[in-house]
Amino acid sequence: MSLLTRLAARQLLTQLRTTEWRALLLASWIAIALTTLLAVLGDRLERGLMRESASLLGADLVLSSSRPLTPERLQGLPLQGIQQTPVIQFPSMVGQGDNLMLVSVRALQAPYPLRGELVTEPAGTGIPAPGEVWVEPRVMTQLQLQPGAQLEFGYQPLTVSRELLASPDRGTGFRSFSPHILVNAADLDASGVLAPGSRANYRILFAGSSAAVRTLDQALRPTLASHERIHALQADQPLTGNALGNALSYLKLSALIALLLSALTIMLALRRFSLGQHTRSALLLNLGLRPGQLVRVYLYQLLLAWLLTASAGILTGFLLESAVYQWLAELLPQALPPAHWLRWLSGAALGLALLVLLGLPPILQLARIPVAHLLRGDAPPRDRTALLLQGASMILLAATLLAFLEAPLAALGLLAFLLLGGALFGWLAQGCLLLCARPLARHLLLGRLLLMRLRQQRQWHRLQAAVVVMLLTLLSVVWVSRTDLIEQWQAQFPSDTPNYFLINIQPWQKAELDTFFAERALDTELYPMIRGRLTQLNGNPIQPQLNAEQQDHNTLRRELNLSWRAERPAHNPLVAGDWWQPGDTDAISIEQDMARELGLELGDRLGFDIGGIAVEGVIRNIREVVWTSFQPNFYIIFNPEALQNAPSTWITSFHLPAEQRALSRDLLQQFPSLTLIDIDQVLTQLAGWLQRLGDSSALILALSLGCGLLLLGVTLLQALEQRRFESALLQTLGVSAEQARRLDLLEFLLIGLVCGGLASASAEGVLAMLHQWLLQIPPRLHGELWLLLPPLAAMVFVLIGWLIRRPLRLDQCYRLLRAG
Amino acid sequence: MSHLNREKPLIEAQDVAKSFNTQAGSVELFRNLDVRIMPGESLAIIGRSGAGKSTLLSLLAGLDTPTEGQILFDDQPLEQLDDAARADLRLQQISFIFQSFHLLPELDALDNVRLPLEIQGRKDADAQARHWLQQVGLGARLDHYPAQLSGGEQQRVAIARAFATEPKVLFADEPTGNLDDDTGQQIIEQLFDLNTNAGTTLILITHDIDLASRCQRRLHLQNGRLEEVPA
Repeated sequence: MSLLTRLAARQLLTQLRTTEWRALLLASWIAIALTTLLAVLGDRLERGLMRESASLLGADLVLSSSRPLTPERLQGLPLQGIQQTPVIQFPSMVGQGDNLMLVSVRALQAPYPLRGELVTEPAGTGIPAPGEVWVEPRVMTQLQLQPGAQLEFGYQPLTVSRELLASPDRGTGFRSFSPHILVNAADLDASGVLAPGSRANYRILFAGSSAAVRTLDQALRPTLASHERIHALQADQPLTGNALGNALSYLKLSALIALLLSALTIMLALRRFSLGQHTRSALLLNLGLRPGQLVRVYLYQLLLAWLLTASAGILTGFLLESAVYQWLAELLPQALPPAHWLRWLSGAALGLALLVLLGLPPILQLARIPVAHLLRGDAPPRDRTALLLQGASMILLAATLLAFLEAPLAALGLLAFLLLGGALFGWLAQGCLLLCARPLARHLLLGRLLLMRLRQQRQWHRLQAAVVVMLLTLLSVVWVSRTDLIEQWQAQFPSDTPNYFLINIQPWQKAELDTFFAERALDTELYPMIRGRLTQLNGNPIQPQLNAEQQDHNTLRRELNLSWRAERPAHNPLVAGDWWQPGDTDAISIEQDMARELGLELGDRLGFDIGGIAVEGVIRNIREVVWTSFQPNFYIIFNPEALQNAPSTWITSFHLPAEQRALSRDLLQQFPSLTLIDIDQVLTQLAGWLQRLGDSSALILALSLGCGLLLLGVTLLQALEQRRFESALLQTLGVSAEQARRLDLLEFLLIGLVCGGLASASAEGVLAMLHQWLLQIPPRLHGELWLLLPPLAAMVFVLIGWLIRRPLRLDQCYRLLRAG
Repeated sequence: MSHLNREKPLIEAQDVAKSFNTQAGSVELFRNLDVRIMPGESLAIIGRSGAGKSTLLSLLAGLDTPTEGQILFDDQPLEQLDDAARADLRLQQISFIFQSFHLLPELDALDNVRLPLEIQGRKDADAQARHWLQQVGLGARLDHYPAQLSGGEQQRVAIARAFATEPKVLFADEPTGNLDDDTGQQIIEQLFDLNTNAGTTLILITHDIDLASRCQRRLHLQNGRLEEVPA
């Protein structure tokens, strides 16, 4: 071992006994563990769901449509050298015995897929033979299926021949997360589950040489109808990854807080460390060490520290990743491949960047300390070089963090929010502290001293309060909302709120279905549903008449579900105009938000394209619609005379009490082609998502809290000498060690209580905003926060303060005062 | 101030001035100082607190630069040396002993003495360090850490460290300032014995008249002027 490494190792060993180095090591350990966790998990998600998009698409190019794609659709397209296969995907209820489950069905024709492969148990190739079905493990578990079991699929029972472990071409959006089953397209007709007008996604998968695919892509794009989309390999966003990608970004943003706190802890720890190294550096320089060698000694010390924390951090990252993966596993469509081995090192790399970039400025400053410091106590020069170096390091560090987070705008937004929120809470906390301390100052023996100290330490108090209040707020909000929000949202609905949607009802089934419901005394109302696009306003194309924001309105970018009725739906009160009378053939009713946002008024004439036929109507009234009522709701309702001859399917929703759930089974047996959507199941899935995401981010925030506590410790350290000196002076003036200690503890207790109180108030505020604006339900008070947070914060402050502040013996006081 | 000696001085300060900029304006510590220090001689700089003794020592050792005038070390103007050359000069030719010992706490006595020798790249670092610790009477306490040594013992380790590199000049800043009288006396004896044997030039700062009187020459720094004090 060279002299310099030996010196560095010895220095590190000695420093390990100091609080600032312990805080530094713990902070970089947490930062490395968290970064490893997110880098590895992110890579696995990307590799599994995003990067391998060729196999994810199941093809090189996909044409997707909400209407059937006939062979004529492809006429005139350059299909030479292109392989193609059609896929139909739709939601359906399948069952075995009394168990029913909503799944996403894919009806296939060979060859399938064109890219990637279907992984099944038992293994094999091809697609399910007619009469067979392949199901995902979630379906097996929930329906308690065994291989060879019969699965009821409309009129056609299918034999479960394989378990589907992984598959490409899962489709987009929420359907990609539903449990999937694969059937042969030949079974569709016999099952009767898909009738004309049923909601389904029709796709044609294409594959071929890149030149042929490019030519096809170019030829296809100009011919796209409004209900069609193209998903291509290079140009397209990953399909399934979006929701998971968002979840990952959310977790990464949670981690930003921990990383910032770690960085601040490391910076303050190094600052305190370097202040204590002036004499030592001057001595080593005096003994003949060159400045470059001195820099190397300190860098080696940091590298040794990094080696320690990187090993521990990677190991912890591995454990955390296993835990979070377990939580998310149930929600993942398929098992994820392992991460690239380099990703395991990204946490360590970020840790190295943190240590070196934060460590280099103070270290280089140490190398500039004059040897005369040993004689006269000269400090190192504080000049432009030092400031520039500090600035450059900060910029590099910020760039590194942003590069890691891969969402610079969101990260900068969060950073601004944290800084502003932190500043606000810092000031508030300080105001509250002084307010509380003033009456105490009058009554306590050392009260005036407490007040003076609160003023002296105000900068540190502001930082401590900002960190603690923000962290406790975030943690409380995440913790409460992970379970509470969905439950409360569900609880607000009346007990008879519909819990089933029934869609894809054909006109000829309507009468029979009405009878079915009437016989069972179920209160339902069927609504016709026709798909059409809003194209004209007052006789001219609508788009040019709107501003940019309106042009991007949700209702103009897609086909709308339209309906017709003679009477006003009971759950849609009118806010303007009146309902039509028989004979008002061109009268239409519009939903109030759509009318307001598009600037539409009573008397405006709207034109629609319904399957190529132009239909017009005049706005006769404006309706209020509560979209979360779980009733069939429509933006536009026509007069019956205008639309009743247009091809339509029907929709309804109804409430089935738990004891009548078996009815759903009767319904599907009698009407196998209908799609029954169990809202409870969908909400349970959504709640599962939120809870697991909440758990994962709560874990990250808990680690952030760990970083926050370290930072708290390091900030308390910064003023430790002053505290010790003050305490020594007090003790020599006749105050007992116990009284001096109580003064400190009182200060910590006060600031803890104030921080806890502020955190309760701000968490309550954020939760109230979530209730009011996101869920649109009345806010409620969370008493448990008020009971828990103030004592918790006070305990944390007192504990850390007690650990850092050791009592002084009288002889120590004397020595301290002499030295000071 | 002049010193009549036909030998060539090892250190020579010529018309040296030093001032500092403070918030209240420029403060001049001294002006027109001349001093010649011969090889092998011992010199004490005395004066009251704040007179500028430490600053003068820093200038003579090349740790600081004068506002005016120049310092020659072995005929070489120190201001012409860059930082690296000055560091090299300190490494090869200069040693210091400080009032507060300045030992590295994580190194034992032997390693503390061995450190500058290793920095010099000396192969005999270990043997030399042991030799010098024997010389100061700490042969039995080689593996003791500074915290396990008394103040006097720590200063002896510092003395061994200072002599071990065989410097041409030894600067000592109040070497007995942190020691009781008896221990201080022992340290002084040892310092002068070793200095005599090694033939090192010794420049020390002290308040202690007894200590100063042990030096061949004494210079009194007062009101910015340096005056020779007769024996």
